[in-house]
Amino acid sequence: MPKLRHIAIAAEDPEAMAEFYKKAFDFKEVGRPNGHLADGVFLSDGTLNMAILKFKTDQLGKGMEFRGIHHFGVLVEDVDAFSKKLENLGASHYIDQGQDGHQAGYFEKKFFGPEGVLFDIAEHGWAGAEPLPAPIKEAAE
Amino acid sequence: MAKLRHIAIAAKDPDAMADFYVKAFDFKIVRTSDGPLAYGHHLSDGTIDLAVLRFKSDQIGKGMDYTGLHHFGILVEDVAVAAKRVEACGGRHYMDQAEPDRTGGFEVKLYGPEGILFDVAEHPWTGTEPLPVAVKEAAE
Repeated sequence: MPKLRHIAIAAEDPEAMAEFYKKAFDFKEVGRPNGHLADGVFLSDGTLNMAILKFKTDQLGKGMEFRGIHHFGVLVEDVDAFSKKLENLGASHYIDQGQDGHQAGYFEKKFFGPEGVLFDIAEHGWAGAEPLPAPIKEAAE
Repeated sequence: MAKLRHIAIAAKDPDAMADFYVKAFDFKIVRTSDGPLAYGHHLSDGTIDLAVLRFKSDQIGKGMDYTGLHHFGILVEDVAVAAKRVEACGGRHYMDQAEPDRTGGFEVKLYGPEGILFDVAEHPWTGTEPLPVAVKEAAE
């Protein structure tokens, strides 16, 4: 079964927000993404990647001032197979990561699901996130 | 270490949205609830609770028409200790679970920096993974 492995927050001050979650819950910093979509801090609880980001574009259509939980990410066995499945179910493809050269540890494709809710899928996983359970991964290989 | 175990989405049509995630990712519906705060479905991937809810009040100040990601939840060893720690870090208490004996959902809601709402609970959300044994035992 695919696994929820990423949650992203749109922040005005990612540094201060990341500091809060590190101090409050002992989440560990595992990266400093700095790309054309967003800058910020990646935290991990050992299972999920929690990205605290200052976005550079209005991905959600809620305006650049939007602050809050922004999107989530699902780790899947096969991005291509799931992309087809998602589109068949009515999701709309938004963007691919890798259009400007693939970086490991990030989303691979973004989709809008029902009611315009944005989510990512990836098969390589987010920085600091747990991989798929072995039997599922092995069965897919 | 505390663990992220809950993600909540504000939806106009929780039935249709839940159906999408069940079909898309094989997530299982583990609970359907209609309480004072929201109506909707709790899905599980075996580890995390993905709640698809139609809220009955404006908990995040974005208006009742808001749809999208709403809040997340963290499983902790001890809710009282965690809540105090959050407040010491500058977080703000919002509300407690109205039924103290009810488990499987949030126990306390707090606002973190920039008004981000999150829950803490020491009993796992329904259908989710408990804290790793070593962490839990160390706390007992």
